[in-house]
Amino acid sequence: MLFNSLEFAVFLPIVFILYWFVTARYLKLQNLVLLLASYFFYGWWDWRFLALIFFSSTVDYVIGIQLGKDFPTRTRKVLLALSIAVNIGFLGFFKYYNFFSESFADAFTLLGAPFEPSRLNIILPVGISFYTFQTLSYSLDVYRRKLTPTKDSLAFFAFVSFFPQLVAGPIERASNLLPQFFKKRSFNEIKATDGLRQILIGLFKKVIVADHCAMYVNEIFNNHQEFSGSTLFLGAVFFAFQIYGDFSGYSDIAIGTARLFGFNLMKNFAFPYFSRDIAEFWRRWHISLSTWFRDYLYIPLGGSRGSTLMKVRNIFIIFLVSGFWHGANWTFLVWGGLNALYFLPLMLSNKNRKNIDSIGTFFPSLREFLQMGFTFLITVIAWIFFRAESVHHALDYLKRMLSDTLFSIPTLRPSDVMLYILILVVVEWFGREKEHALQNLEKYVGRPLRWLVYFAIAMVILLYSGEEQEFIYFQF
Amino acid sequence: MRSFLIKISIFSILVILPMYLLFSRADGNWDPFYERFTTPKQENLLLGTSRAAQGLQPAVFNEMLGKDFYNYSFTVVHSPYGPTYLKSIRRKLKSDTNSGTFILTVDPWSVSSISEDPNNLKDFRELAFCLENTPLVSIDPNPLYLLNNEHNYHRLFKRKKGSLFLHDDGWLEVSPPMDSSLVKERIENKVQDYREDMLPYYKFSEARLSYLVKTIEYLQTHGKVYLVRLPIHERMMQVENELTNDFDLKIAEAIKLSNGYLDLTDLNSSFSYTDGNHLYKTSGEKVSRIIANWVKQQRLKN
Repeated sequence: MLFNSLEFAVFLPIVFILYWFVTARYLKLQNLVLLLASYFFYGWWDWRFLALIFFSSTVDYVIGIQLGKDFPTRTRKVLLALSIAVNIGFLGFFKYYNFFSESFADAFTLLGAPFEPSRLNIILPVGISFYTFQTLSYSLDVYRRKLTPTKDSLAFFAFVSFFPQLVAGPIERASNLLPQFFKKRSFNEIKATDGLRQILIGLFKKVIVADHCAMYVNEIFNNHQEFSGSTLFLGAVFFAFQIYGDFSGYSDIAIGTARLFGFNLMKNFAFPYFSRDIAEFWRRWHISLSTWFRDYLYIPLGGSRGSTLMKVRNIFIIFLVSGFWHGANWTFLVWGGLNALYFLPLMLSNKNRKNIDSIGTFFPSLREFLQMGFTFLITVIAWIFFRAESVHHALDYLKRMLSDTLFSIPTLRPSDVMLYILILVVVEWFGREKEHALQNLEKYVGRPLRWLVYFAIAMVILLYSGEEQEFIYFQF
Repeated sequence: MRSFLIKISIFSILVILPMYLLFSRADGNWDPFYERFTTPKQENLLLGTSRAAQGLQPAVFNEMLGKDFYNYSFTVVHSPYGPTYLKSIRRKLKSDTNSGTFILTVDPWSVSSISEDPNNLKDFRELAFCLENTPLVSIDPNPLYLLNNEHNYHRLFKRKKGSLFLHDDGWLEVSPPMDSSLVKERIENKVQDYREDMLPYYKFSEARLSYLVKTIEYLQTHGKVYLVRLPIHERMMQVENELTNDFDLKIAEAIKLSNGYLDLTDLNSSFSYTDGNHLYKTSGEKVSRIIANWVKQQRLKN
């Protein structure tokens, strides 16, 4: 079920009513409503994969309880390894089997011993990378004794499958989300209203910005040989906004929806295209995944401590794994590697935490403006690899883009899409210090104008919605 | 909670009301299908693909057979025989109909599939389109159709008039310029499309044939069912014969089950076509008269 679908528009009010009007007195019943609603939401795609999520939850629930006991360290390590093996095993099988099989075949062909790889006709379960990482964080935190394992199976199963963030995050830490299932939730109007505002801006980002960009991105990337360098550059810029509108829009809708039910999810995007360097960009983009890798991979590897070689190794590992997490394709690995290369000079010169504070003034200085422009530009170049079908496709795209036609007038100049992007940039610039662009609007604008803004956004979403596209991150 | 619900209700009304009014502006000019999902349930249906949608004129049938006919035909992509079309026909038919008349047009394309396995129901193309995703087919306006199949509703502010118009009785009137050179060019293009983009990929589908049979069986519980093969341009006929040259034999079971089968392809050269595949409206009227007259005779025989 897509957030921008009619089904969800019916589903959400029904769950809301059941949750607040029928079961509000009983925490267990509320959790049951959330669990059933989440399974229904997930089963809408393919009910068969419910077994997968149920099995994964059961394994981590049982292992979590065992990890909480006073077993010897060795036994606990075996239990943790079992949890990792099951979760990563599922992920590896569904997402990476064909990739490895074909890559081995290619490698053997290069070595002069060609063989035909066995391909499996596997459907990738929606959101598997997200809920796998979420349950893994539970097992890891319980193993490290940072979290007490729960015996409340209903709360745990509802935590793993919580529908607002089940299929595309934010990837929640058990330590943040799970305890919220144990506490009585009471309806908070301010929180719910703000949740609705966040849903509204999220829908605008997805349906207006991302879906309109997608139409041109698909046209340009699928036929890149036919376009001038400037059009290809525009296509790459549109993709930057498509993926941002798509994914941060999804996160906004997810966070806003969770707030309607009294839950707080972590912030996933913090206006990343206003970053002054790539390190700042990675603190603002897909925060829940970046911090996941930081806590469970980068720091255990040694982080930024140790020799320069170790630092370089750790940076490459984290970015390459992050790239590979996005998909079983060399393009994602190159994308990750490119970002590591961008990051490395900052890291080695100890400047990676230079831009921690916000700009502070309404208008950026010329220097900050140029820094933002440069960061955006190198990000756009990396996105080409992310969007391309293959590394060869990306390289050819880049080669044609950087030709002498780069400075010609683009053949495609969709003024509507440019206007939508401009509106998004302006609105986000005004709201860049907040959780989302429309937060606390009541502090600045009176009710009539505020309602007019909501009404205008809603009508724009309904009247100008682009061709419905699935959220990009569902495939990861 | 109370004030939240009041506010959200007011806001929802403020948004839904103008959308409802805007959706009400969608008419036969909006797209070639929408109106068919807004009219009441029917008792007598003309069914098939775009050949029937453009070629069969309910007004002629009404006049000659004294019944109200409705053209519930779409295109070869949307309404070849299969589970989707049958499901939608069930939705469109008045459930208490017991003496209806149903005219089903048949041709090789409507019982063939473009998927690799032509009998794999999950690969049928129509699953992605309006007949599958519109569960209610008789509400006006129909937001389910509009929200699932359309976008950019701002276009509804401007009423456009094009060469396509979908009448209230379901007939799709197509009025392209009919200068001989343009017609020749359109026929050329259409034949080329069918030969190059369809013929190599289409395969006769036993599954579709079985759904044609199921459709006939279902409709026979509500009245009489007649099968018709509409005329097409000779060049299109050649392509069609390459797909299935023993068509009548292939659908023998369906023919046997029906209350009569009329093959009009012997008269191919007697009519004019907009593009070789679809009858021009004047010829459509003639063909509708021929079929209505034949149905009349069949009814007398039975």
